[in-house]
Amino acid sequence: MSDLDRAIAQLRACRPIPEAEVRELCHKARELLIEEGNVVTVNAPVTICGDIHGQFHDLMELFRVGGDVPDTNYLFMGDFVDRGFYSLETFLLLLCLKVRYPDRMTLIRGNHESRQITTVYGFYDECLRKYGSANVWRYCCDVFDYLALGAIVLGASNTLPSAGGEPVSSSPDADEIEIEVRNSDGQVISQFLRQQQKDVARGRINRSTPNGGSSAIMTNGGATPPPPPSSSPPTSTPTHTGPPGSSATSTSAGSIGNPAGAVLCVHGGLSPLIDKVDKIRLLDRKQEVPHEGAMCDLLWSDPDEIDGWGLSPRGAGFLFGADIVRVFNQRNDLSLIARAHQLVMEGFKEMFDASIVTVWSAPNYCYRCGNVAALLELSEDESGMGVLARSNGDVNRSDGGMAAAAATGGWAPGPGGASVGGSGGQRGQSIVMDGGGGGGLLPARAGPARRYRVFQAAPQDSRGMPAKKPVADYFL
Amino acid sequence: MSAPSIPNLLSLRSGAAGGRGRGRGGSARSGRSGPGPRPSHDATIQGTDTDAAVSRLSAVELGYLSDPFARLFVQGPATRRLPIINRGTYTRTTAIDTLVDHFLATTSPDEPRQIVSLGAGTDTRCLRLFTSPANHRNIAYHEIDFPTIMARKQTIIATTPSLQTTLSTPSPLSPTTWQSHSLTPEQPTSPNNNTLTLHGLDLRTLTPSSPTLPTFLPTAPTLLLSECCLCYLPPQTTTSLLHHFTMSSSSSLLSLVLYEPILPHDSFGKTMVSNLAARGIAMPTLDVYPTAADQERRLREAGFVRSESVDGIWEGWVSEAEKERVDGLEGGLDEVEEWRLLAGHYIVAWGWRGGKGDLDVRIAC
Ligand SMILES: [Mn+2]
Repeated sequence: MSDLDRAIAQLRACRPIPEAEVRELCHKARELLIEEGNVVTVNAPVTICGDIHGQFHDLMELFRVGGDVPDTNYLFMGDFVDRGFYSLETFLLLLCLKVRYPDRMTLIRGNHESRQITTVYGFYDECLRKYGSANVWRYCCDVFDYLALGAIVLGASNTLPSAGGEPVSSSPDADEIEIEVRNSDGQVISQFLRQQQKDVARGRINRSTPNGGSSAIMTNGGATPPPPPSSSPPTSTPTHTGPPGSSATSTSAGSIGNPAGAVLCVHGGLSPLIDKVDKIRLLDRKQEVPHEGAMCDLLWSDPDEIDGWGLSPRGAGFLFGADIVRVFNQRNDLSLIARAHQLVMEGFKEMFDASIVTVWSAPNYCYRCGNVAALLELSEDESGMGVLARSNGDVNRSDGGMAAAAATGGWAPGPGGASVGGSGGQRGQSIVMDGGGGGGLLPARAGPARRYRVFQAAPQDSRGMPAKKPVADYFL
Repeated sequence: MSAPSIPNLLSLRSGAAGGRGRGRGGSARSGRSGPGPRPSHDATIQGTDTDAAVSRLSAVELGYLSDPFARLFVQGPATRRLPIINRGTYTRTTAIDTLVDHFLATTSPDEPRQIVSLGAGTDTRCLRLFTSPANHRNIAYHEIDFPTIMARKQTIIATTPSLQTTLSTPSPLSPTTWQSHSLTPEQPTSPNNNTLTLHGLDLRTLTPSSPTLPTFLPTAPTLLLSECCLCYLPPQTTTSLLHHFTMSSSSSLLSLVLYEPILPHDSFGKTMVSNLAARGIAMPTLDVYPTAADQERRLREAGFVRSESVDGIWEGWVSEAEKERVDGLEGGLDEVEEWRLLAGHYIVAWGWRGGKGDLDVRIAC
């Protein structure tokens, strides 16, 4: 058993590893991460996760629900640390897994992966408490500076594969399922079909709800009895017509079986300074998260029901509306933006005709909020029209990512199946790429089929793991 | 895709149904503190005052609030609370200060008016009022709490050198009642006539038929304050307690300001109730007055009534400039969604009987 495997085993038991090993691990991780571009290319299948925030036991539950590493490819969208009581074990385990399985683990930076934020929100204090010095905090912060700022997922399928549990294939519309929500036992809570038109969708969605055809199923959370304290099933009212947190799309699906457009993953959201993904590639990311500017915005911004850009109540980043997302996705040939950063009670929330989704993976956040968590599975397109397989890294690294990217949008697969590699060259399509907004004329790209798995907080007093019962603060 | 090698931690919860935390349930697996004697509910509730004092000091040390007295009531080094808690402490303190200031501004300073703080604990509001540059006069301030808490407070007042110029040494009116006079060193010749009476008693013993409290002024305009106090008492007890004051006072103005949690039935609220129950804290009135509307109905018999969530107070009562200042103290609040949840689960409600539109606070900003 290698040192790394031993460290992984120890961290899986929620026991910190010695300072010298942390130093070594962080050194290796930096060597690995420095080779990655600002925007990492990831191929489906991949499971996308949002904020973890040091909730180690819930990360274990996430791995149970989503599959263990390296059997499942993971993409974590940042905010590994702060708030929870096990930021250290959480981050070090994820980092070990990254070093051990670099092509199966993608970690991108959240706004909490920062020196300034971690001194306010807990990670610094935790390191001090667990090691008696700030050395480990410093090693970790040095790694933070090398984390990628975003990822592009290529080759995701328009259709869901069967996934055990309920027999999806028995549904006559299996190929047309756009969104499926499962509980932590793998049981289907709800399914939603790809629709040609929104008004039709409203009518059909209720009928196509699985497990008895009544949307009331969803309000009861399928077969999951809600254990306290995070007892809310992922749902809203019995009469709603989309899945919890979603706005079932009205986009035309294109021909089923084609790979969906690319998915951009980023912790926070968009920036008024970034109109193309390739501009992200040009940033100098190897630094503390600045207080303003493009890098800051990517980690801090939030989508909101506004037109254009707005000031963020967080005091960093911006708010951005549906129009911004539509134009950005079109210009960059994206079908979806996946981001984290905002607590959503149902674990995930699709907005703006499913052009952007928030994924939140910290159940009962801060041991206080009573929310459920979710992960998002994108499956692999097996139609033979997928993209060039690449491991983590910047597609255009060889030429600095500039020329090719600026000319073509580099990484994007064409709808007719043309793959575009790292060499720049031709686009096989006529997506509007000028900077003039280009919006409104073309339909949005068909999104990938999305399977959400919703899960609840794990109890803290589980065998084999340290069992400090966290105390949540209230106004008393 | 589910990984079979990873145990389902949820399934390890014994008898998932019972759940409530307390019983046999999970105790076999250590985690919880085990059987052992639990502190009484009274002692636990008194502990919430310590929690509030620590939170107050955190907010003061970080510059949210200005309160030179916060340090006096916390033992040991200050504990830094997270920004979301500091903002909550700031908002609720500022809101109640605003209502108190309004009460004082709309009652004549030439005649006695009184403020009664229920479950005052280590609250410093009286000390801040008596040393305010506004030079308030004719305030009879009453603090009521358990005898042990009030005894400790009078000891601190009597033995803290820095308070010697603020308050006279408390003189006992009974074994569990003390009174101090506010000192104004600048103008020793014109007494401000401010007094603080510490009433060491169990609030549950106050009923409509119990005698009027020592030094209570039956005809003076009166403001009753409950800052997270009545919520710990059974609903009938709080009704009876409030009736004690409505019966004791014949003043033309009687007001009540409440600060309490609400919304115990949504998922945040359920988690709150269960987390607090795990600490031995029960809030019986929460079930009876679960919403802002229920709280208003409760106060309605007093006359006019208003309420505002802590979230709403932050949004509507705090000026943009002040918001910017407060947000800047710890580099911005990253906990926006969580703030809306937490602050949405607390309200300040106020009602009043008589007066001339008093406490109809509309803060412009
Ligand atoms: Mn974040």
